[in-house]
Amino acid sequence: MNEINVILNGKPVVGKAGESVLDLAKRNGIEIPTLCHDPRLEPYSSCFVCVVEIEGMRGLQPSCSTKITEGMKINTDNDKIHKARKSALDLIVSNHYADCVAPCKQTCPAGVDVQGYISLIEKGMYSEAVALIKQVNPLPAVCGRVCVRPCEAACRRNLLEENAGVGIDYMKRFASDMDLQSPNRYIAKAKPATGKKVAIIGAGPGGLSAAWFLQLEGHYCDIYEASPKPGGWLRYGIPEYRLPNDIIDKEVNAILELGLSQIHYNQKLGDNLSYKNLKQKYDAVILTIGSQGSTPVGCEGDDAENVFGGVDFLRNMEITGQRYNFKGKTVAVIGGGNTAMDCCRTSIRCHADKVYVLYRRTENEMPANPIEIHESKLEGVEYMFLTAPKKINKDENGKVKSITCLKMELGEPDASGRRRPVPVEGSDFDLPVDYILAAIGQKTLAPFIEDINQNADNGKFALNKYGNIDVNPATLQTGIPNVFSAGDAVKGPATAIEAIAQARRAALSCHQYLTGQEIKAEDYEFISRKDNFKKQTPTDYKGKFVNKNRHEMPTLQANQRLNFNEVELGYENEQVAQEEASRCLECGCVEYYTCDLKKHSTEYHATQENFKGDFREYNIRFDHPFIEIDNNKCILCARCVRICNEVVGANALGLVNRGFDTYVAPNLGLSLTETDCESCGLCISACPTAAISENVIFKPGPIKTEPVNSICNYCSVGCELEYHTKKDFVWRVTGANGFINKDTNICSYAKFGYNYINDKKRLTTPLYKENGTWKQISFEEAFKIITEQLNKQQGPHTAFFTGGRLTNEEMLLAQKLATTTNSTIGSFQYIGRGNGYAENSFANVPFDDIEKAEHIYILGTEINYEHPVVGYMIFNHQHKNEIQVSQITTIKNNKLTKKVNNTIVVDSYYYFIKAANHYLLSNNLQNQLFINQNSQHFEVYKTQLLSEKYEILIQKSGVDKATIEKFAKEYNEIHHAIIVFSEKNVSANASLELQNLALITGKLGKTAMGLISLKEKNNSEGLFNLGIGEGLDNFNKITNLNDHSLIDKLNSLQIKNFFIFGEDPIGTAIDKAKVEHWFNQASFIVVQDYFMTETAQKANLILPASLPYETGGSFTNTQRTIQKIEKQKNPPFKYCNIGQLIALAKKLGIHNFDSVDDVHEELNHLFANAKPMTFVFRSTEQDNQITLFKNGCDNINQQFMDYFDKKLTKKNKYEAVQ
Amino acid sequence: MENIKVLVGLASCGIAAGANKVFEKFNQIKENEHLPFELTKTGCIGMCYREPLVEIIDESGSYLYGEIDENKTIEIIEKHIKLGEPVKEYVVKTELFQNEDDTYWQGQVKIALRNCGVINPEIIEEYENRGGYQAIKNLIKNNIQSEQVIQTIIESGIRGRGGGGFPTGMKWKFAAASKSDEKYIICNADEGDPGAFMDRSVLEGDPHAVLEGMTIAAYAIGATEGVIYCRAEYPLAIKRLNIALEQAREKGYLGKNAHGKQGWNFDIHVKEGAGAFVCGEETALMASVEGRRGMPRKRPPFPAVSGLWKKPTNINNVETFANIPYIVLNGASSYNKYGTEKSKGTKVFALTGKIKRGGLVEVPMGISIKDIIFKLGGGIQNNKKFKAVQLGGPSGGCIPEYLSDTPVDYESITATGAIMGSGGMVVMDETTCMVDMARFFLDFTQKESCGKCTFCRIGTKRMLEILTRITEGEGKEGDIELLEQLAYQIKDSSLCGLGQTAPNPVLTTIKYFRHEYEAHIRDKKCPAHSCKKLITYTVDEDKCTGCTVCAKNCPVNAISGERKQIHFINQDACIKCGVCFSKCKFEAIKLS
Repeated sequence: MNEINVILNGKPVVGKAGESVLDLAKRNGIEIPTLCHDPRLEPYSSCFVCVVEIEGMRGLQPSCSTKITEGMKINTDNDKIHKARKSALDLIVSNHYADCVAPCKQTCPAGVDVQGYISLIEKGMYSEAVALIKQVNPLPAVCGRVCVRPCEAACRRNLLEENAGVGIDYMKRFASDMDLQSPNRYIAKAKPATGKKVAIIGAGPGGLSAAWFLQLEGHYCDIYEASPKPGGWLRYGIPEYRLPNDIIDKEVNAILELGLSQIHYNQKLGDNLSYKNLKQKYDAVILTIGSQGSTPVGCEGDDAENVFGGVDFLRNMEITGQRYNFKGKTVAVIGGGNTAMDCCRTSIRCHADKVYVLYRRTENEMPANPIEIHESKLEGVEYMFLTAPKKINKDENGKVKSITCLKMELGEPDASGRRRPVPVEGSDFDLPVDYILAAIGQKTLAPFIEDINQNADNGKFALNKYGNIDVNPATLQTGIPNVFSAGDAVKGPATAIEAIAQARRAALSCHQYLTGQEIKAEDYEFISRKDNFKKQTPTDYKGKFVNKNRHEMPTLQANQRLNFNEVELGYENEQVAQEEASRCLECGCVEYYTCDLKKHSTEYHATQENFKGDFREYNIRFDHPFIEIDNNKCILCARCVRICNEVVGANALGLVNRGFDTYVAPNLGLSLTETDCESCGLCISACPTAAISENVIFKPGPIKTEPVNSICNYCSVGCELEYHTKKDFVWRVTGANGFINKDTNICSYAKFGYNYINDKKRLTTPLYKENGTWKQISFEEAFKIITEQLNKQQGPHTAFFTGGRLTNEEMLLAQKLATTTNSTIGSFQYIGRGNGYAENSFANVPFDDIEKAEHIYILGTEINYEHPVVGYMIFNHQHKNEIQVSQITTIKNNKLTKKVNNTIVVDSYYYFIKAANHYLLSNNLQNQLFINQNSQHFEVYKTQLLSEKYEILIQKSGVDKATIEKFAKEYNEIHHAIIVFSEKNVSANASLELQNLALITGKLGKTAMGLISLKEKNNSEGLFNLGIGEGLDNFNKITNLNDHSLIDKLNSLQIKNFFIFGEDPIGTAIDKAKVEHWFNQASFIVVQDYFMTETAQKANLILPASLPYETGGSFTNTQRTIQKIEKQKNPPFKYCNIGQLIALAKKLGIHNFDSVDDVHEELNHLFANAKPMTFVFRSTEQDNQITLFKNGCDNINQQFMDYFDKKLTKKNKYEAVQ
Repeated sequence: MENIKVLVGLASCGIAAGANKVFEKFNQIKENEHLPFELTKTGCIGMCYREPLVEIIDESGSYLYGEIDENKTIEIIEKHIKLGEPVKEYVVKTELFQNEDDTYWQGQVKIALRNCGVINPEIIEEYENRGGYQAIKNLIKNNIQSEQVIQTIIESGIRGRGGGGFPTGMKWKFAAASKSDEKYIICNADEGDPGAFMDRSVLEGDPHAVLEGMTIAAYAIGATEGVIYCRAEYPLAIKRLNIALEQAREKGYLGKNAHGKQGWNFDIHVKEGAGAFVCGEETALMASVEGRRGMPRKRPPFPAVSGLWKKPTNINNVETFANIPYIVLNGASSYNKYGTEKSKGTKVFALTGKIKRGGLVEVPMGISIKDIIFKLGGGIQNNKKFKAVQLGGPSGGCIPEYLSDTPVDYESITATGAIMGSGGMVVMDETTCMVDMARFFLDFTQKESCGKCTFCRIGTKRMLEILTRITEGEGKEGDIELLEQLAYQIKDSSLCGLGQTAPNPVLTTIKYFRHEYEAHIRDKKCPAHSCKKLITYTVDEDKCTGCTVCAKNCPVNAISGERKQIHFINQDACIKCGVCFSKCKFEAIKLS
């Protein structure tokens, strides 16, 4: 019955009853695109991207909500389906007013991921930033100095603050310079050599880049350069005061460092190098020859002596190493571009008396970089705008004497959009000059055409009508199949970044050629653009972001510039770079790499133009400190709304309005912080775009991160997490498909509680207190001091304390240290709480069985804030199956009240449960058969309990008799009834009485009934298993070290030496004075932690702690599931926690452990030999103390709670101006 | 005079036309002069175009007076009531002499509307006196089995009158077959089509018929609770339903041991809808009843299996339920003797638009559209040319004049591309632009889309934008094809009826009036001279007498000219309201 036969795309397959077409297809390897479906939620069917055709059903069916039936014939792809999916996507993106990519990256010819590297620079990851840039541009230090920066012109900061785009290029330079100086400089790695060889003609930016990209693919490159040095126009065209030669050399070295290329100097194609040789030796050729010829002035007399082409002037100096001496001379530079700027500023440096720039339009039309114009003026260049040369007058020796100029005026705009200069009749005047530098333009010189065409086997090499090399514009392939070209030779004189961009394209085509692939333009990529909807204007930005001044580049004083020293000095320090990075508005989408909408739109070639029309624009909402809502990106799949309803049960989000005006908003028009939002972030995990995303406190990228898997180290549920990291920084945290959290759900602690890992205040070295001040010491010194102390202070006055966040392996080693030194061991978390918590994990209902429960009682926990993932399981089950959920609490209106079906408010959990037990036993309602078969000491318990007065128990419980009896009867009679409780608020004796109740009712240890106990820390359970937490005498722990009297010893100040691992008793104390008192007469205190906690401040010696994934080991969750964590990163110091303990153990003579695995093996051995558990009724006399500490006595829990509380009352990161 | 009975039609439409004042006048004179005639309220009489309507029944027979005001009331009392002389010129219907409006009634068969305009809907006994509650009483008294009741309904051939046309008996059968302790009966009274008002008339005029119909359905499927989901815009209907519910409970027809049947605790309550059109869709309706946002979901599961609160649920609309007591009381053959082979019984239509006699008619299935429009409806206003009729409201389609012989039955109507729908008939004449008409209906549906499905939410919006640009003369080549492509995709890929039918007006107008679309797009002309951006008003210089009427009436002072001089329309200022055109007595304003 469970098998259903269907025909899927013509093939018979067997499905499962109740399965959707989508799931069936997925199981059979057919990926159907979907946006609104989330496996955690009930099917919804709104996006209609997942449509399929089913024989006999009209129209197309959404596969997510169509259940398979016997004999169903399903077609998952055909033309009609494809068109429908594309239309659905076209329609969705036609109202998706958002940018996938920021304008800076879009505008960059090479597509450098500016937003990505700014994010890295913000975090001081300069080499990573360089690595990112070098994916598309191997010359960041060069470009960081000379790029014309179309990115900065396109930067939206300009709309917020006029002409003050983010200093993108300056930051790039800063990162590149930092990287070049760094001992851990970025060094790229080429793929294994392919054996293919490519000749590259020209070692300018194009040729160098082509070599870079080809080498990365494993191809060998020989670069032939006509000049004696590399760099092309970078070296020979751009003067050193802008681009020092050593910078070029360093970046060229980084290219050659890949190891698959060489540069051959003084080799010129068509001169001393023939295509014939190249053809024989190489599989392909890339021509990156640049535009070498300068355009003459083009008026009478331009053949006069001392009239130079601008680029020739610059090149000559570089080649000869001789600088012109213009002392006492007047120089006229003709032109308004960047070459003109280089010429005029160089002339000043050649000591010219006077330097004029003659330009036929006005300053507004000048193509030169404005900063260049500005600097040239500072340096003394004089401008003559609206002036054109008419004639060059020679002296008797044929040398320039003067220029006859014409004044111009601006007429109608020409083809370039600039106003055409028109001569003013009769405005001629003479300008006496000694030198003329014509920076008017360059042209491509290709004297080797015949050489190529004579020697080529097939195809024809040619120039186009502009005199540049004729190529296929999409692939840069010339008329000869294995010859490609890029850079100025193709485009005409342009910029370095354009040459680099083209070189990448030519290298890709060449790679395709070499590997036998089709040479084709890049695949379609869907990119959403706000500009597709409307032009962005200042009103879209002003008032929405805080204004921040641009950091200008520090430069040499004007009077120190009569030399070729670099004028721009680079940012002063990291802080400046980071402040400039903070100006980035993050226009591009943080989900660039993960967005489902983008993925499917790319696959189906959706466009925003196809159904262009009206669109909706919304203000982004930052009012929640962790959750950002950008309705512009929303596609109304309602996954956020549904997960908040179906799984969380908070109903914080809803849909507003109808039709095209529908949008998602926090309920009742409130701010999300004012709703019942639990800040769990599951909405973020559900969003297929970035309409709901994390409101982060740093620049999130987008960045490609590396996954690190770990188990959550907050509570005891044991969720598996994926930290998205790069270097040591955690970018975000998501849930993995864990053993416990199979559906990837995680809670606010895991989702948003990772900032401590990125905290710069984290301890990274051992510290030793001398004369009241902290001194950094080495680990070796620290171990020496500790062992000396331990050897000296052995015995009962010395105590070890291990926190519930430690791994089992750490606990075991700590325990070994204690045993060896005859010291005692305990955990502050459990100190003074009695011995009733040891057993409550032994017969828990597995979390997976929650979905079989009929009635769940939540006792003593606001589970949706304390152990939310268990809460999701309960409330999802309540939503799906309409089961009853009750809570028993001491807080009348708590955060759970709205979610449960009913609330019982008690004064005391202990007396409430005890009274219920009394009621059941005095009425003989116990499950005697179960008791007889499965437990011990029932009669003793019964006699003791019934000797107590029922009325007094009732009175102390604070609940009326009827309520208690109703509860007792219900729990007894409902088969699958479960009580879920948390140790945080439930005393140890109450925990014992709960266990007694589960025994009385015959539920303990049976399927989907009985108890679930929840502990505060990720490895609280480990403390019991290792005999550190206070347990009962016959408890099957593997050792029996715990010291019942530890609390008394602390109170009577008998403990003098403290070795505290991962706990902060002072910082988390409920009664701080009392706890501080314990340490008053201490002689020596060692603390191991992440931060300088309040307890650490009291210490004599502090050891830095490593994170779980920097340590490795295992945690035992509250249900006694042992989960391993691999060590995946090194801590930012020498010894991880385990390393520290092993080193100490060795010093104390314990030599059997060398690694975490050795410890783990011993643990396995110990666990395997543990005694089996038997259920025992335990009598209790009175209630006992709960806990002396908040937050599991752990500083990171404490930090998160403080952060959570603080953030939820504060405004957003942009502090939006109202 | 004691034997004279005066009934004033006090449905919403009557009240809107001033019937309350008429009723008050009758009452005032009756009180002041102590006249012993019987004065009572009744529901919709049907002849909307003659409202307010007053029926006087005396020994000689029945006289229906139309277009009555307070003055005419006085005259009627003086002449007819006091002297026994009917005021013939106000009479619009009587059996005693012929009347020009008689054709309006010829061919009508009143089953669903059998009590509307006849009984006082606020008095349960009046319903009972006409056989009301007899059907359910018989079932209980004779202990008729559920299967037998359902069989009767199946045999009667009645199909869902809300628009879907699904056989009612089959629907009941499915719900009856679902096993559950709790089942629900829902009456869909969320009548949302513009121009449709038959459900309102039934609820206002004969609420007990609906309650009895629901009770019979509950009896047949074993339901424990009934819900009437009524739009809040029908306050009078809700008021009268609540009165009727109270009366029925008092009589023991609802509540514990309903109708004396032990253990059958069936009650009904009214749930007011908040005005979302989509809530007429059954899955959205149930979501709304449950207190959630009214959004449809995919079927299956069908409500008969998992409906309200996930329990088996049967949903029918008002008109369907109103027919049920009649069928059960009189047998399947009393109903299925009307109609065609596959479409049995009668159907109520609401006639609106450019028709002479707008109002409610109930006709046997199979009658031709032409007969409804020309015989019952009296033809087109101002004797203009009949162009098309929109059937089924915004979900329906238009049927052109040349197909007006089409009989009204489910299959024939569907074959034209229109749908029967709930029975709204909007009649259009030659001055109606079909593109603009399609745009109007699509504007309605796209605003009423719940916003869930991509195609319905954005697709209808894009279609509307295309239609708008066409009517504004900005249409492009390829727009018709784009409309068709989107229309079919929206129909194919929407969860509920709203989306699946929203493109119908566009598709049928393209099908029958493609040339009008082409004229807008290619020639930038509106053949019906209706689209404002595509028409101009000019003065015919040969005909203009300089009377200044046009200039005086122009609301934007766009017309200038001295008395006795030829006038001139400033095109830049003209808002194309057409006032000049209609005011000119010399036909001197040209429309092109």
